[in-house]
Amino acid sequence: MRRVRAGIERRSLPMLAAAVLALLVVLFYYPVATVFVDAVLVEGRLTLRVFASILTDPFYLGELARLFAGDSPVAVLRALLSADRRLGIVGFTAYQAALSTVVSVAVGVPLAYLLARYEFPGRRTVRSLTILPFVLPSIMVAVGFFAAFGADGTLNAVLGAVGLGPVDLLPSLEAIVVAHAFYNAPLVARITTASWESVDASAVETARSLGAGPFRAFRDVVWPQVYPAVLMSAALTFVFTFGTFPIVLALGGFELATLEVFIYGLIRDLAYAEGAALALLELAISLSVLYGYLRYEAAHTVEAGSIRPQERRPLRPPSWSLRELLPRIGLAAYAVVALVLFCLPIASMVYASLSGPTGLTLEHYRFLLERQVTGAAFQVRPWPAVRNSLLFGAAALAVALPMGVVVSVLTTRDYAGRELVDTIAMAPLSVSSIVVGLGLLRGLVFGVELGGVRVAVGGALAIVAAHAVAGYPFIVRVVAPGLASLDRQLVESARALGAPRARALLDIELPLVWPAVVAGAAFAAAISIGEFSATAVLASGTGQYTMPIAIERFIGRRLGPATAMGVVLLVVTSGSFLLIDRFGGDRVGL
Amino acid sequence: MAGCTFGSNPGRGDGSRDTLVVGTYSSLIDSPSSSPGAWLKSTFEEEFDIDLVWQTPSNELNHYVQRQQAGVDIEADLYMGLNPEDLVRVDRELDEALFAEAGDVEGQSDIKSGLQFDPQNRALPYDTGYVSLVFDGTEMTAPETFEGLLADEMQGDLIAQNPSSSSTGRAFLLHTVKEFGPDGYLDYWADLQANDVQVLGSWDDAYSAWGSGEAPMVVSYSTDRVFADESGANLEEHRIRFLNDQAYANPEGMAVFADSDRPEAARQFMSFLLRPEIQGEIAVRNVQFPATDTVILPEDYAELAREPPEPVTFTYEELQGNVSDWVSDWERQFAGN
Repeated sequence: MRRVRAGIERRSLPMLAAAVLALLVVLFYYPVATVFVDAVLVEGRLTLRVFASILTDPFYLGELARLFAGDSPVAVLRALLSADRRLGIVGFTAYQAALSTVVSVAVGVPLAYLLARYEFPGRRTVRSLTILPFVLPSIMVAVGFFAAFGADGTLNAVLGAVGLGPVDLLPSLEAIVVAHAFYNAPLVARITTASWESVDASAVETARSLGAGPFRAFRDVVWPQVYPAVLMSAALTFVFTFGTFPIVLALGGFELATLEVFIYGLIRDLAYAEGAALALLELAISLSVLYGYLRYEAAHTVEAGSIRPQERRPLRPPSWSLRELLPRIGLAAYAVVALVLFCLPIASMVYASLSGPTGLTLEHYRFLLERQVTGAAFQVRPWPAVRNSLLFGAAALAVALPMGVVVSVLTTRDYAGRELVDTIAMAPLSVSSIVVGLGLLRGLVFGVELGGVRVAVGGALAIVAAHAVAGYPFIVRVVAPGLASLDRQLVESARALGAPRARALLDIELPLVWPAVVAGAAFAAAISIGEFSATAVLASGTGQYTMPIAIERFIGRRLGPATAMGVVLLVVTSGSFLLIDRFGGDRVGL
Repeated sequence: MAGCTFGSNPGRGDGSRDTLVVGTYSSLIDSPSSSPGAWLKSTFEEEFDIDLVWQTPSNELNHYVQRQQAGVDIEADLYMGLNPEDLVRVDRELDEALFAEAGDVEGQSDIKSGLQFDPQNRALPYDTGYVSLVFDGTEMTAPETFEGLLADEMQGDLIAQNPSSSSTGRAFLLHTVKEFGPDGYLDYWADLQANDVQVLGSWDDAYSAWGSGEAPMVVSYSTDRVFADESGANLEEHRIRFLNDQAYANPEGMAVFADSDRPEAARQFMSFLLRPEIQGEIAVRNVQFPATDTVILPEDYAELAREPPEPVTFTYEELQGNVSDWVSDWERQFAGN
C-alpha cells in the first residue's frame, strides 16, 4: 500500500503536467489555431498575401511599412525621426500601452511600498480590495469615469466649489491611460508587495550594521529583489493594454482606435483572413515583450527564500524627525492621488446606481429584485448570476492553482529553449479575446467530427476550464520566479532523504513562496469573476450566465439597472475576498 | 454582443407540442426597460399550441453564419433582427443560402413599400427605427442641416458611434453618404472631425457620455422621448432633430432559415407578427415603429415617438459591394495616425 502511494507521488508531477497540457490544447491552443489558420489559408490555399498586405500598409505600420515594402532602412529611420512621422495603428497602440505601463507602475509601486512596509488599521482590507478594479467590466469603468471626471462630473463640481475649472478631461488619450492605470496599477501593487514582503530582514540589518545608510541598504539589498517584480508587472501591463479594446472607444473615441478595435471590426464583418492576420501580429508583438522579460528574468534570478520578513513601520510617525516625516508626507500626497483615481470612479458608480432623474432612489435595486422574482425563464436574473460567478470562480481557482504550480515547476527546470516554452505558456494573456471567443465557438461549441460522431463541448465545465486557462498564467508568473530563487539545497536535501518531488514541492517549496502563490491565486479568481467573452460563448442552455453578463444585459437607456448590478458585483467580490482573508488570516493573506 | 444561448436544447420530438426556435438579439427579450419577447411568446403559444423558444447567441446573426460555415446544423427556425447590411454581409460570405424565401406569408402586402429591403424577398420587416439626433434643449438648439454641424458654435457638441460595431453609428454614416455621395462624405467627415465630433464605441458608450453632459447632441433613435417620459426625465432635455428633415430608416427584418424543419410554423409566426394588433404591441414594447401601415398607435406613444418627414435609406443593391468599403475608408481617414 505504501509502495503504491509512493509510486503515485513519484509520478504525480509528470501526470499532472500531461493533464495540464491536454487541457491547454483542448481549451486554448486548438481553438485559437482554428482562427489563426484563416490568416494563411485562404480558400483552401496557403498564402502569405494577407500578411504581406498588412505589413506593407502604412495605415497599420506607419513608416515601418516602407521597410517591408523595400525602402532603405536609412530612409525609414530618417522618416521615423522626423516630426511628421506616421506611427500607424500598431505604433499608436504600442505608444499608448507604453504610456499606460509607465503610469500604472508610477501609481502601483508607491502602493506596494505602503502595503509592504507600513502597519496601519485596515491594511489587510486595503490589500484585499486592490483586486476590485480587476473584476469591473469596462462599461462600468467608463460610467464611473464619466461620472467622476466628465463635464458634469464630481471632480468639476469640487473644482467649481473652490472657484476653479471646469476641466475638459474626456474623451482623450489621457483618459484612456488613466483608466488603464485604474485597471493595472493594482496588479503592479499586488505583485510588487508580494516580493517586497519576502525581502529577508537580516540581509538589510547586515547591510546597516556594516555602515550602509537606509538609502544605500535599500538600493543594494531591497531594490534588487523588488525590481524584477516591478518589471514583470510592467511587462504584463504592457501586454494587457496593448490588447485593449472597449475602454479605448468608451473613453477616447475612434480617433484613438487600437489594433484590437480593427481586429474586432474585421471579425465582426466576417473578414477572417485580415482579422486573424492582425491578431497574429498583435500576438507576436505581445509575446516578444514577454519573451524579452522572461530572458531577463532567467538571467537575473536572485537567491532568496524569506527567512524573516522585515518589521512593518507604524504609519503614525514615532518621532517628528525629518527622516520619519518625509516618506509619510509623500505617502499622504500619494493617498490623495489614489483616492481620486480609485475611489472617485467607484463611488461615482455606486452613486449612479442610487440616482434617478428626480434625485436619490432605490428604484434600480427594486428592478433587480423584480427581475429576480418575476423574470421569465429565458431572462437573466441577478441571484443565479451571483451564484454562478462564485461557483465558477472557486472551481476555476481549484483548477488554475495546480495548473499554475505545475507549469511553474516545469519552467524553473534548466533546458534549452526554456524561455520559449515559458512564453508560449503565457499566450492566454495575449491572444485577442474576440479570437479566443470565435475559436471556442468553432473548436468546442460546434465540436469536431470524430469517427462520424460530433463531439461538442459547452456548459459549466467548459466555462470553468476556460476561466482556469485565462487565470493560470498569473499564478505561473508570480510563483515561478519565487521557485527559481529558492535555495536549491533545500529541495536536494529533501530528495536525498527520500521525499518524492511532489512532496518536496508541497512541504518545502510552496510554503516558502506562499505570498506569491496567494497573490497569483487572487488574480486567477478575479479573472474568472470578471471574464465575459468566453463565458458568453460557452454558456449553453439556461442558467449559466455570470455577473458580468447580467450587467451587460441590464444596460439600457438608463444606467441605473446595470450600475446596480455592478454594485452587486463589487459587494459580492469584496465580500468574498474579505471573508477569505478574515478566516484565512495572514496565512492566506489575500 | 450580449448573453448566452438559452434553451438551445428545445427537447424536440417528444411528441407533445411542436417547438419553434427563434434566434434574435438579447434586448428583444431581455432589456431592462421593456422588451416584446415575453409577451410575444405567451400570446403566440396561447393561440397556436406551439412552444416558442428564444435563442440569443452572444454574436447574434454571425453565430448562425459561423455554424453554416462550419457545417454544423442550425438549430433555429427563424431569425428576428436582420437589417439590410446584415443581409448584404451574409450573402457576400455564404455560398449556400442561409435563409429561405418568405413565400406565402399572410399580411406581407401590408408592409410599407419603403421598408422592404430584400430584393430576393427572404427578409420581411417587422418594425423600423429612425436614427436621428437627440439634443438637450436646455443647453442649445441643434442645427437643422448637416452643414450646420460644422459651425463654430457647434464645436465638440456632437457624440456619434463607431460605424463598424454600432448600428446607430453605421446609420448616421450611411446618412452622410446619402447626403454627400460616396465621393463627398469623407470630406464632410474631415470637416466634422475638425469640429471635434466625438465618435465613441457602442450606442451605450455614446448615450451614457451624452447623459453625463459630455456634449449636448448624440446620434440615437427618434423614439428617445418615449424612454425619457417613462423614466420621468425632463422632456426638454430630450429633443429630436431630423437633419434636413430626414432620418435614416433602420428596418428590422425576420427570415426563415433555409434548413428549418418547421418552415410552416415559422411562416405562421411571421404572419402573426404582421397582424395589426401585434404590430402595435411590438412597436410600443420594442420602442420602434410598425412595419405595416395598418396600425394605429396609442395616442400618448405617437405623440412621443417622432417620425421624420422624409425617411431615407439605401437599398440592398446600393449597399451590396459598397458598405464595407464605405466604412473602412471612413475608418482609415478618421483613425489615421
